[in-house]
Amino acid sequence: MAQIELENITKRYGEKTALDHISLCVRDNEFFVLFGPAGAGKTTLLKTIAGIEFPQEGLVKINGKTVNQVEPMNRNVSMVFENYALYPQLSVYDNIAFPMRSRLYKKDEAYIKSAVDRVTKMLNISNLLDRRPVQLSNGQRQRVAIGRCLVREPNVFLMDEPLAHLDAKLRHFMREELKEMQSSFNTTTIYVTHDYMEAMSLADRIAVLNNGKFEQTGTAHEMYYEPANEFVAKLFGEPEINLFPAEPYEEDGVLKLRAFSKDTSLIPRGDVSAALRENGGKTVDVGIRGADIDFSFENRGDGWVRGSVYACEPIGNKVIVTVTVAETQVRVVAPNSTKAELDSDIYLRFHTEDLLYFDEMTKESIGRSGGKRPAEKTKQAEGVVETWHS
Amino acid sequence: MNQNKRTAGSLLGALGRNVVLIVYALFALFPLIWMVLCSFKSDVQMYNTVFRFTPTLENYRNVLFGTDYFRAFFQNLLVSGVAVVITIVAGVPIAYALARYDFRKKEDVAFTILSFKFAPEILVCLPVFLIFQKIGLYDTYFGLIWVYQLVTMPLVIWVVRGYFEDISVEIEQAAELDGYRWYEIFLKTLVPLIKPGLVAAGLLAFIFAWNDFTFPLILSGFNVQTITITSMRYIASDTVHYGQVAVAATIAVLPEVIVCLFIQKHLVRGLSFGAVKG
Amino acid sequence: MAQLTLRGVCKRYDAEKKLFHKKKESNLAVRDLSFSCSDGEFIGILGPSGCGKSTTLRMIAGLEQITRGDIYIGDTRINDLMPKDRNIGLAFEDYALYPPLSVYDNLAFNMRAKKMSEDEIDKSIRYVAPLLKVDDLLDRKPTALSGGQKQRVNIARAIVRRPGLLLLDEPLSHLDGKMRQTLRHEIKRMHHEIKCTTIIVTHDQMEAMSLADRIVIMKDGELQQMGTPLEVYDDPANVFVAGFIGDPPMNLLPSVIAELGGLFFFTFPESEIRIEVPQRYQKALHNGMEVILGVRPVDILIDDGSSFSTPASVSIFEDLGDERRVGVRVGGQLLNITTNDSAYYEKGQTIHMSFQAERTHLFDPETGERIHVPE
Repeated sequence: MAQIELENITKRYGEKTALDHISLCVRDNEFFVLFGPAGAGKTTLLKTIAGIEFPQEGLVKINGKTVNQVEPMNRNVSMVFENYALYPQLSVYDNIAFPMRSRLYKKDEAYIKSAVDRVTKMLNISNLLDRRPVQLSNGQRQRVAIGRCLVREPNVFLMDEPLAHLDAKLRHFMREELKEMQSSFNTTTIYVTHDYMEAMSLADRIAVLNNGKFEQTGTAHEMYYEPANEFVAKLFGEPEINLFPAEPYEEDGVLKLRAFSKDTSLIPRGDVSAALRENGGKTVDVGIRGADIDFSFENRGDGWVRGSVYACEPIGNKVIVTVTVAETQVRVVAPNSTKAELDSDIYLRFHTEDLLYFDEMTKESIGRSGGKRPAEKTKQAEGVVETWHS
Repeated sequence: MNQNKRTAGSLLGALGRNVVLIVYALFALFPLIWMVLCSFKSDVQMYNTVFRFTPTLENYRNVLFGTDYFRAFFQNLLVSGVAVVITIVAGVPIAYALARYDFRKKEDVAFTILSFKFAPEILVCLPVFLIFQKIGLYDTYFGLIWVYQLVTMPLVIWVVRGYFEDISVEIEQAAELDGYRWYEIFLKTLVPLIKPGLVAAGLLAFIFAWNDFTFPLILSGFNVQTITITSMRYIASDTVHYGQVAVAATIAVLPEVIVCLFIQKHLVRGLSFGAVKG
Repeated sequence: MAQLTLRGVCKRYDAEKKLFHKKKESNLAVRDLSFSCSDGEFIGILGPSGCGKSTTLRMIAGLEQITRGDIYIGDTRINDLMPKDRNIGLAFEDYALYPPLSVYDNLAFNMRAKKMSEDEIDKSIRYVAPLLKVDDLLDRKPTALSGGQKQRVNIARAIVRRPGLLLLDEPLSHLDGKMRQTLRHEIKRMHHEIKCTTIIVTHDQMEAMSLADRIVIMKDGELQQMGTPLEVYDDPANVFVAGFIGDPPMNLLPSVIAELGGLFFFTFPESEIRIEVPQRYQKALHNGMEVILGVRPVDILIDDGSSFSTPASVSIFEDLGDERRVGVRVGGQLLNITTNDSAYYEKGQTIHMSFQAERTHLFDPETGERIHVPE
C-alpha cells in the first residue's frame, strides 16, 4: 500500500520524447488507469515507476520518498507485463512462487504453498500448477502472469495491458473477473490499457495520455460526460462521438447554431448560450453521441436534417447507421431490426439537450448542455485528491 | 477418379528419390568406409582389390601399443576441451552484450568476430608462428588453446546471440522486480533458455577444434602433439604405412562420431532455433 | 455474376501429411458442407481458427483439391477446373502486390496477361479504382502505400476483371480499429455498386455481421448454421452459434429443471436463484431435466420486483458510458445484464431480473442443439 508520485518526469529515447514533463499523484489503495492510444507512453511511464527505465528529468516518489536511485528490486513493486514474461522453463507453480524465493523477498516453503494456493484459486488455475507456460492457452498464461504479480504484497501493482492479447469474449470475461477481485486487492494499482471499456469499468480515476502528455485526469464519468477536449471525447464511447462544426447566430433573441448547410439549424439549450457568446460567437465544434440522434426514413418537417445512408452495420443488439450529411459523416445508433438501403434518404433529429461544445481551433471544451445524465456515484475519498497538470 | 493415378505416381517418385539418395550416401561415405577397411588390411594387401582380403589387427597393435598414440589422443582432448570451455566462459557474455546493448559499430564488431571463421587458417598461421616464437608460446598448450579461439568462438557467439535475442528482455526485468541479483537472473533464467544452443554450438566447436590440422602443424612441435599431426608420422621415409594411418584416423574420428550420433537431433534444433533471423 | 452451390463438400488432408498415418474421420478438415448463395449475394464464412473456413474458400478458388462432393458455379461443375478458368477474383490476407510495378500496372497485370487491349484495361481500371478510393494512388509503388491502401489495391486487383465471384480471405485482419471500420464501409459500398457475388472469410463475428447478407457459421469443419445476421442473432441453432455471435456474448447457464407447485423453474448448481420457466416451454420439459439456459445480456430487464421477477444480489457493476452492465453470480458463473437506464447499483444490492419469454433460448447440454417449442 503506497502513494505514488511523479514530479515533472521527462523520458527521451534519442530524438523521441516519450514522456514530456509528466506529473501525477496516485493515492494509497487507488485503482488508477493510464489510458491512451498505442505509442502514447503508457508502458514507459509504468517502467519508470518500476525503475526499469530511468528518466532524464524528474522525480519518482513512493510514499513521499524519492526512489530515483533505488534499484527496481528494492522498490517493492510487482508488475504484469504485456507479453506476460513467464519463465518458460518453470512450471506454473514455480513461476508464481519465483518472487517469493529470491533472497530479498524470501519466504519459507509452507508460506509459499499457501500463497500460491490462494492466488491460483482466485484466478481459477489451480488445476494447471504442473504445466509449463508453453502448454497453456493465452488466457491461462495471462492468469498465471497476474497470479505472479498478485502473490506478493508490494507497494503497488503495475499492470501493462494484461488483457490486450485475448480475444473479445475472453477479454470481457477476464475484465469482469478482475472487477470482482478488485475489492480484495487492498493495494495501490496502476493499470494500463487502450480499451476504454476496461478503463471505465475498473478505474477509480483515469489519466488519458497522448504523445507523452496528459490530456485529462479524472473519473470515468468525467471522461465520458465532460471530456476536456475532442481527443478525449473521441476515445470514449462506441460508436465514436460525432463532431461537426456549427456557427452560432442570433434570431429573434434566441441563439441558434447553423450546421451542415445554410438551411439547417439547431437550437441549443439556454445554459450554454453564455459560454458560446463568451467564445466570441465563433464557429464551434459540436459533439453528439450516436444514441442521442433520432432517425426516420420520411421527412417529418422542421428540426429534421436530411442525409444519405453511407453504411448500415448490424452488430448484434444494435445497428450502426453511418449517414452523410453535407460533407460530414454522422453515426447513428438504431435498433437491431433496422434495414437501410445504401444511398437512400434518411432524416435525422438531434437531441440538443445532450450536446458538447468545443473550440474549433484549440479543440478544447467550451461547455456542455445540462440535460439528462446519470448522477455520479461518489466514492468515500480518503484525503484530498491532488493532480498537477503539465 | 484421379486419386489412384496420383498415388501410383507418387509411389514411383518416392522410390526414385530413395534410390538417388542411397547412391549418393554410398558415394559420400565411401572414403570413410575405405578408411576403416584399410585399417584392417596388412601393408602387403593394401593395393589389392578392395573387398577381398584377410583382415588383420596388426596395424592396430602397432599403432596403439607401439607408438605414443594415446598420448596424442589425450593431448587433443585436453586442448580442444579447454579451448571450448574458455570459449563458453568468454563467449556467452559477449553474445549477451551483442544481443542486449546498443553501442556504436556494434554490427561491425559482430561481423568481425564472425569473419574469423571465414579466414583461411593457412593465411594467418605464419604471422602467428613468428609472434609466438617471439613471445615464447611456440609448442605450448596455452598457445594452441588461445589460437583455437579463432575456430571455436565465432560459432558459439553467433548461435548464442540469436538465442539471447529471442528471449524477451521482460523476463529479465520481471526477475529483477522479483528481487533477484544479476548473476542469479543469469544463472536461473537465462542459462536454462540458451542451453540447447549453447550445447549444440559448443559440441560443434569442439569438433572443429578436434579436427584442426593447420594450427597444430605450424605452431606445435614435440611437446604438444595432436592426433591430426600424429597421423602424419606413419608416413615413413621408405614407405607409407597406409594401414597405420588408417588406424590413427579411424580412432581419431570415433569421439566425434559418437558425439554426433547422440546429439544429432539437438544439433539441428539447437543451431537453427536462434539463428533464423529476419 | 455467379450463383454458387456447394454440395457435400469434404476435404481430407492425409495424402499431404505422411506423418499422421491415421485414416479416421476426424482428419476431415471440411465435413459434408452444403450451401448455396444467389447471384450478387454477400456471404460471410465465419468461425474460430481451424474450423475449415479458409480451406473451404481455397477449394472454391481451386487452390485445394476437393476430396469429395461438388462445387457448382451456375450450372457448371468446377471441381476439375483450374483456378484461372473459374473466373474468380481473389484477395488474401497478405497483399502480395508486385513491388516494382506501380499501382496501375499491378491492377493491369492480369488483364495484360490475357492480352486485353490497353483501352479496355484502362476503362476497367478507371471504373474500379474510385470504388475503392485508389484512383489517386495509381502512380505510386506499393512501398509508398499504407497497410490500408495496400489492401484496397489488393481488392481492386481482384475485381478489376469483373469476375463472377469475389473471394476475400480475412482481408482486414492486419488493419487496426479505424482503418478496419473505414475499409468495411468501402467494401460494402463497392459490393453495393457492382453487385458481384462475394464471399468473405473471417473469424471476427462483428465483421461478418456488418458485411454479409447471410452468414455461414462453421466449427470443426461442419456447418453450424446459415442465415442472415438477424437470424443467427435472434435464433441461434445451437449453443456454439449462440455463444459465438454477439458482443457481449450470450449468457449460457447450465441448469436443472425443478418442479415447484405445478410450475417449472430453472435451478442452478451452487446457487439459490430460481427462475420461472416461460410458459411456452412448460410442455417441453420434465422434472430433473438438464438444459442450458441462453439469454442475451440486453434481454434481461431490471425492474422493481413484480411477482414474475427473480431477486438476485449484484456482484459487479460497470458504468461504460453508453450503457451499464450488471453482473450477478449464479453459482460458478457470472450472469451479465446490459441496461440503458441511469440507475447505479452497489455491490451486494438486491435487484429484480425479469426474462422475456421470446428472448430466452434453451439448449440440450449433450447435443448443444436448440430445444424447440412443440407446436
